Amino acid sequence: MKGETFTLNIADYSTITDCETSPAVTLACAVCYALAVSVSDSLPALCLASVLPAVIMCRKKINITKINIMNAIMLLTMILTWPVAREGFVRGVVISLRVNMIYVTFAGMLAPLGIGGLYSALILPEKLRVLVILTLRGIYIMHERFSAALVALRLRAPELRGVMKLRAFAYVVASVVLQSSRKSERMMYAVTCRGGFGGFRRDVNRSVTPRDVVMCAMFAVYIAVIVGCNYA
Amino acid sequence: MHISEGILSGSVLAAGWLGSAAGISYGLKKTDTAKIVRTALISSAFFLASLVNVRIGPSSTHLTLLAPMGLVLGFGVFPAVFVALLLQALLFHFGGLLVLGVNTFIMSASALLVYVLFGKFIRGGRYAVVFSFVAGVTAVMTGACLVGAALGMTDGNFFTAAKIIIIAHIPVALIEGVVTVFLMSWLKKSAPEFLS
Repeated sequence: MKGETFTLNIADYSTITDCETSPAVTLACAVCYALAVSVSDSLPALCLASVLPAVIMCRKKINITKINIMNAIMLLTMILTWPVAREGFVRGVVISLRVNMIYVTFAGMLAPLGIGGLYSALILPEKLRVLVILTLRGIYIMHERFSAALVALRLRAPELRGVMKLRAFAYVVASVVLQSSRKSERMMYAVTCRGGFGGFRRDVNRSVTPRDVVMCAMFAVYIAVIVGCNYA
Repeated sequence: MHISEGILSGSVLAAGWLGSAAGISYGLKKTDTAKIVRTALISSAFFLASLVNVRIGPSSTHLTLLAPMGLVLGFGVFPAVFVALLLQALLFHFGGLLVLGVNTFIMSASALLVYVLFGKFIRGGRYAVVFSFVAGVTAVMTGACLVGAALGMTDGNFFTAAKIIIIAHIPVALIEGVVTVFLMSWLKKSAPEFLS
């Protein structure tokens, strides 16, 4: 189908890497920092909060182009819709700063953990954990079939337009879901055989290291200073 | 329909997480262990559908499949949407982890509303095509209105931006309506067990 693009490059994210700190502690620190940033309105607090993303940006190459294209659109909307143009601009800049800071922090701190590390850090109920596993596996299976079906559709009927194109797309989605259903049942048997729903084991080391304690303490002080600066 | 990080206030974020947590726990309780595979499949389809861009004139959009999700999963839509959005946030940084609660609530509540309002009529057969179309449109427009409400509750000055968001979703809602009609008719013919 001309006009449809379909890309999925999740292989790079699905690796499990060794981390110096516990994934749970890293996730908790990143989320607390993001929370502090999202409630901060004053420029001094945001300037203080920008130190961490600046350090991350110095150490790692993080692409912020895509997120800032979205920011530019939002900034334009704010300027056009806010009662006073200058206030709208300031508000837009504050939100853009926040979005960039949170994005860089999450990308810098959480991306190295990989899906495996993050998955182990999240304390999820049994059913939800199995659902995450099956969904992730389902994405790989369906992506393969979906891509093939879209290519076949494009080759067989390149002239499809309007409602006919939407009908073809709907049939592709429905048939891919149905085809994947049988394979998914086998995945479910595999999960059950490995102990799912009877206490799916997570091989996670939850011991707290001195490095974790230091990281928690540093983040607690940093976040307290940001929040204090915001409300001072 | 994703709200980015850093826009919403703390109280709206907290309300979103509370609503989502309640929905997810109830949805998990209602989801049969045997049906968890179907939930995962629909969740994967929702994830993948958001990566397929469909052109509308000079612009392009992506489908959400909210109405089909709601009609197939019922209350199970809460955990399905949560997992899909979690993976999107982790893998592609769409939305974010802090706003995950609000985004989950917005999309799941829209899908669930469609299930409650139109589920019986679409399964019933008579005027199913009309109800499917209305369901598709309703799901997207409800989602857009909830996004607007979340922005409005954060700051009253966001209301104009919220209006723009709602108007921008009208073509997407019409496309979703058409796709929902074809999807539901195909599922009714070829896999009626999905709608049971």
